[in-house]
Amino acid sequence: MPLINLENVSFSYDNNIDVIKNVSLSIFEGEYIAVIGHNGSGKSTLAKLFNGLIKAQKGKVVVDGFDCADKKQVFEVRKRVGVVFQNPDNQLIASIVEDDIAFGPENLGVKRQEIGKRIDFALSAVGMQKFRKSSPSRLSGGQKQRIAIAGVLALNPKVLVLDESTAMLDPQGRNEVLEVAKKLNKEQKTTIINITHYMDEVVNADRVLVLNKGEVVLSGTPKEIFAKKDKIRSLGLELPVSTVIADELKQNGIDLNSEVLTENDLVSSLIGWSEGLCK
Amino acid sequence: MQIDVKNLTYVYSESSRDLSVKALDNVSLTINEGEFFGIIGQTGSGKTTFVQHLNGLIKIAKDKGEIQIGEFCLQDKKCDFKGLRSKIGMVFQYPEHQLFAETVFEDVAFALKNFEKELSESQMEERVRRAIELVGLNYEQVKDKSPFELSGGQKRRVAIAGVIVSRPEILVLDEPAAGLDPVGKRDFLSLLHSLHKNFVKTIIIVSHDMNLVAEHCTKTAVFSHGKICAVGSPKEIFSDYNLIESLSLDLPTTAKVVRELSKKGINIDCDLTVKDFVRAVKERGAKL
Amino acid sequence: MKDVAFGQYYPATSFVHKMDARMKILAVIAYIVAVFIVKQFQFMGFALCLLFVLVATAFAKVPFLRVLKSIKAILFLIILSGILQLFFNTSGKVIFEWQFIKITDVGLLNAGFIIARISLVVLGASLLTLTTSPVELADGIESLLYPLKFIKFPVHEFALIMSIALRFIPTLLEETDRIIKAQKARGADFESGNIFKKIKSLIPILIPLLISSFRRADELADAMDARCYSGSKNRTRYKKLTFTFRDLIGFLAVAGLITGIVFLNISGFLAVVL
Repeated sequence: MPLINLENVSFSYDNNIDVIKNVSLSIFEGEYIAVIGHNGSGKSTLAKLFNGLIKAQKGKVVVDGFDCADKKQVFEVRKRVGVVFQNPDNQLIASIVEDDIAFGPENLGVKRQEIGKRIDFALSAVGMQKFRKSSPSRLSGGQKQRIAIAGVLALNPKVLVLDESTAMLDPQGRNEVLEVAKKLNKEQKTTIINITHYMDEVVNADRVLVLNKGEVVLSGTPKEIFAKKDKIRSLGLELPVSTVIADELKQNGIDLNSEVLTENDLVSSLIGWSEGLCK
Repeated sequence: MQIDVKNLTYVYSESSRDLSVKALDNVSLTINEGEFFGIIGQTGSGKTTFVQHLNGLIKIAKDKGEIQIGEFCLQDKKCDFKGLRSKIGMVFQYPEHQLFAETVFEDVAFALKNFEKELSESQMEERVRRAIELVGLNYEQVKDKSPFELSGGQKRRVAIAGVIVSRPEILVLDEPAAGLDPVGKRDFLSLLHSLHKNFVKTIIIVSHDMNLVAEHCTKTAVFSHGKICAVGSPKEIFSDYNLIESLSLDLPTTAKVVRELSKKGINIDCDLTVKDFVRAVKERGAKL
Repeated sequence: MKDVAFGQYYPATSFVHKMDARMKILAVIAYIVAVFIVKQFQFMGFALCLLFVLVATAFAKVPFLRVLKSIKAILFLIILSGILQLFFNTSGKVIFEWQFIKITDVGLLNAGFIIARISLVVLGASLLTLTTSPVELADGIESLLYPLKFIKFPVHEFALIMSIALRFIPTLLEETDRIIKAQKARGADFESGNIFKKIKSLIPILIPLLISSFRRADELADAMDARCYSGSKNRTRYKKLTFTFRDLIGFLAVAGLITGIVFLNISGFLAVVL
């Protein structure tokens, strides 16, 4: 059974233009999913549908058996699907790290002792134990975002949605956040849904969903997706840098024998090419 | 206009001594006219503090260095900072967050009204029209719109128009592509190039995006802990692997590939732009 | 810009930090009352209050300079009140006269008295915010205001709003700084011109700040919803407020202070009478 299931879901903010158009998709436990699409393609709206922050006007969103549209069940949904947003400054509510992480469990009425344990767990999962008593305003962007993840982890979610959570971070902060997501996916089997602009973040995903004008237009492994180069470009997206370079090389008559997504791919296929020439 | 910075030091004025941080420590740098200059370094290395000195947003403390830009001496108390700012446009991170006026026209005209009060209405309109067209927007279509009803990419363009309307010779941009989607980013960079070609003489970019720096910049300075530890072409900077690694910075993709290939005895000599990388690989193929 | 002394928490584990927030709030209120009941020119009373603050600071493991910094924030106000006292008090012996300015001994004493009074109040209050995290403070106030619930006052929401406001002070200050710089770079001039011009020149700062605050509020609301916020119903508290022996000592200390001051007042009174 899929963990998240969308069935013919449509959503519009003003009952006029559908921001999400008749989308059906299933996300399974333990998957690492990347969602890409240009600005205004409906990516962030999708994130809010996943945990019932907004309700679909048409269709059904079911998470782990709970219906997002049902007011009584929506908290069960939010417990299971944690969302981390773009701006690290706008999602921390308390001036002390541990108080902020406690916010979620407090809302659920979790007992005090258990909250303490959850804070321990969440902080160690994001590697921020040392900062338990710190004030968020003194942390770097990447650290703030890790605290935001910890705040969500304290709810023991099954799914972690990163809604462009790396967009405002420097490369170091980005890496910190992505490492945490990868680790959670591997060690806790947490399902990760990473909504992003950075094509380099996509290459390690199990599955990629490409959104355009509110519809899922492509779905598949990174290799499958980025093989459709013209389609990707026509959707206002870009290929990973290494793929772009490999493409240029091929157009200039350099015969690379494999599909290139990462720097390592590019290096090994160039080595292969060079060896081929030497023979 | 050439920029000459000599021995610039800046200490954040925190009254408790334990918190005082040297944001800039004896920095000297020359940026020639016509450069597409990149400034890189970790967050907190002093990049932003440095560029904010260039148009007097942060003033030089007494005896803490000298900055000469064209005829402006910034350490001079009588320095005409207003005149300076009209010559050095500064585009902050997420510049669309500074839009405030009721119409796009009013917002773009803001700097003109501040800098050149003597302009007639028709002159003003001409200048605003030019600025809006330069950033690739249709003047008639957008001038009466509220800047807040535009799309993200358009807002950013309006914000840039609001800076270049005073005809700066130098344009400084702090992380200009942040938050744009891939196509937005591509379009935006080609906009910067066309501005560089036709309108502003020097462009200075502060960025974390090493691919952007390698692809577009003619020269680069590396900041670390308030000091400049290297200045040179992207090729020179990104060939110094020890330096880049010791500062935990990234290499651009081309440089990473060049480095890995050289370990296997395949030497590619290129200036690290994608185009030149392809040329160098091709050349090497022809040799073999 | 990041460091606004007043209202900023100084993280540490100390006797005072561990005290119950409610006790600290009540103690500060009592302390302020003590400062205000010190009789005119009874500087011994102020010395007692200062001693109280010094001891509390020591127990709080906060550098005294940090506490003093809080005065800096309202230094202008303090000096202004002093000057007003100095110039507008005409009773007493004139000790300095120049043109229309007359300074009397009573005026001087008055100025000193006012300055000491305001400074002491600020010192005590800042000690509260330095040793009590905003969340504890909000919880403490919520708990103290609890009786108001019965007249339908939204105590929980009030406390939450306060804690969020405190959390966002540094963020908004940074943002203001950025916007001011951005508009200055476009030639904005906030210094020259008459008062109306100056107010008008603030529009390019206030509008972006307002818009960004709305955006922040919107995103914050989403983030809170996403973390299952649904008002005060069925909510638990991670940090429980409990009275301990520390609070008893705090209580005794404040009680001692008030007794001391009352004693000083009475003894002064008795000295005059006898």
